[in-house]
This record gives sequence, C-alpha cells and structure tokens, in this order.
Amino acid sequence: MRFIDPHIHCVSRTTDDYHFMARCGVVGVSEPAFWAGYDRSSASSFADYFRHLTVVEPARAARYGIDHYCWLCINAKEAENVSLSREVIALIPPLLDHPRVLGIGEIGLNKNTRNEITIFEEQVDLAARHDQLILIHTPHLEDKHKGTSIITSILKNDRRIRPQRVLIDHCEEHTIRLARDAGFWAGLTVYPVTKVTPQRAADVLETFGPQMICVNSASDWGESGPSNLTDTYLEFRRRGHTEQEAISIFHDNPCRFLGQSRKWKIAPSGMGVPPI
Amino acid sequence: MIYKLFSAYNPPMRNAQETLDQTFLEMRWRCLSLAADLDRIERADGGPTLLATDPRIARLRQAMAILLHERSSRAVAVQNLFSDQSPPPSR
Repeated sequence: MRFIDPHIHCVSRTTDDYHFMARCGVVGVSEPAFWAGYDRSSASSFADYFRHLTVVEPARAARYGIDHYCWLCINAKEAENVSLSREVIALIPPLLDHPRVLGIGEIGLNKNTRNEITIFEEQVDLAARHDQLILIHTPHLEDKHKGTSIITSILKNDRRIRPQRVLIDHCEEHTIRLARDAGFWAGLTVYPVTKVTPQRAADVLETFGPQMICVNSASDWGESGPSNLTDTYLEFRRRGHTEQEAISIFHDNPCRFLGQSRKWKIAPSGMGVPPI
Repeated sequence: MIYKLFSAYNPPMRNAQETLDQTFLEMRWRCLSLAADLDRIERADGGPTLLATDPRIARLRQAMAILLHERSSRAVAVQNLFSDQSPPPSR
C-alpha cells in the first residue's frame, strides 16, 4: 500500500516522523503554509518560512524517499493583520514557478472576521490571476459551518475559479456537502482528539461516498501525527472495504487533485476503483 | 463441523450486530468518561452552580437528547447544535 498525505505540516515534525511515514508507505506529501503557533513579527519571517517550505523540507523528505511539495500563503489567523498580510502576499508571485510550489494555501477563515474575509478574497484573486490550485482551511469547532458557507459563497461568486481546482479542507459531517455539492474537492483531516477521528472519517467515507475526498493527517505542532492517516486506512479496511477502494482514497484521489499541477509527479496507481 | 470461510486480507463487510459487538466497549468507555467529567466538575468548588448555569453544559444536555431521540444523522445534528448560527459579518 502506498499513501499520499496531501496536508501535513512537516516543519513541525521530527525526523522520526519521516522515518515512520516511509515505513508505512507514504511516498508523497504536500505541505500548506500555516500559523506557526505564534504571530510572526514581520514579513521577513515569512520569507524565511517560504524558503523552509520550498528547500529545506523537500530535502529532509527526500532522504526517506518521500516526494515533498508545498503551498504558499498568509494563513487565516495572521490574516487578521491586513497590512502584514499584504506584505506577505507580495512575496508570493516570484515563488509560484518554483518546482515544489503547487498553489495558494491553506487560505481561508479562522474566526470569520471582516479582515480575514478581505485577505481571503485577495489571495483567491492572486490564485486566479496566476492560475493556481487552491487549498482551503476551514475554521474549527463552532465556527466551521458558518466559515465554510462564507468561503464557498465567495469562491462560487468568482467566475474565474474552477471548483475542481479547489480543495476545501477540514470538512466534517455537517460541511462536506457544502464543498462537494458545489464541485469542490473535500478534505478530511484526522486527529486523535477534538476533531475527526479515524472512525468518524471512515463513517464519512461510507456515508457520503469516497469521490473527490482526500484524507490527511495535518500533523501540526499540536496533538496530531502521521499515524492518523494510516489508522484511518486500517479502520476502513477492517470494516471490510477492499484494498482497491483504499488505494482509490488514500493514494489515487490526492494524486488526481494534486496532479492538476504539472509539477506533481506521482500518477494515480491505476489499481484503485475508477472515479465516478 | 462447518467452518466459515474468512479472509483476513479482504474480510466481509460487517453487519450491525458485528459493528455493535466490536464497538460496544469503546462506546461504554466514552459514556463513562463523560459521566466522570461531569462528576469531576460537580466535585470542584462552584461545581453544582456551574453545571446548572453554564451554556456549554446546557448544549451538552441537548446533544445527549439528540443521541437518545434522533433516528439518523445524529452526528450532523450534534455538529449543527455546536455550530455558530449567526449571520456573516456585514461588508
């Protein structure tokens, strides 16, 4: 079994995690730009961070046979600071041709404020002008449904945005239809506590169907980890779903979404169930 | 003796009885865990008053009612209960 983790924050993980992923069969990852756990003091911190994402992590991952790609943006939390956000956004266009950059992400909303919405729209515009894939962060907990509704409305109202080139991440039971019914890809982010567990992720795959769903571990600096992706696979398989169905979900689906960028080099296996 | 054919690589999809059998101990554990959480809050200083007045506890009571009375889509109903239903910010 080969896995793709399409949303993982490798900058927060130890080398042991890379070793673990390689042993489990993870062959490719994509890493969105996100909040570091503290608000950064200037745009130059982001310039360093973008170098980390485009140069340092691909090299770390390669030592374990893992193909590493990334996404660039100002995250939703720090987007509350509009002037800093605009300085960071100005850093991005020269990096969009970098062979490891797949698009703009993870952009979205955190507390659904006016400032966050302003910067979200400016980054959607950036992606549209440069024909980039988009990876969306939706808020957590009580803000998720409202935030997902605002985000999907903005995207649907922009005629330049092709929904199949957008992945709405951190979907849960009450938001997955908002994403997929509008033609967007949906992401399921699996955590050990507080959010979607491996069991509930398998429930969502069974209840809503696996088409246009990418499962990921996030593996950030909080309580999380790359085993949540493989634990979801194990939960899915022990319920009686076939290896071919699992390949479709855990390898081929992310390859189909990410493969819309010419830079992504891992093809769908051809061994999974064909997409509907 | 009749042996049931079983493949560990591609096991058959489990039925409702098997699903309950495999999940019951964990469901029981989660129920006990919640009961112990509420006991712990009650034992602490100000506990009984907090349990009677905190809106988050009231939401939890509503959520437990959903578990007992909803017939399907319980997870969606609980998600909606814990979601902010206010309108988006004005532009």
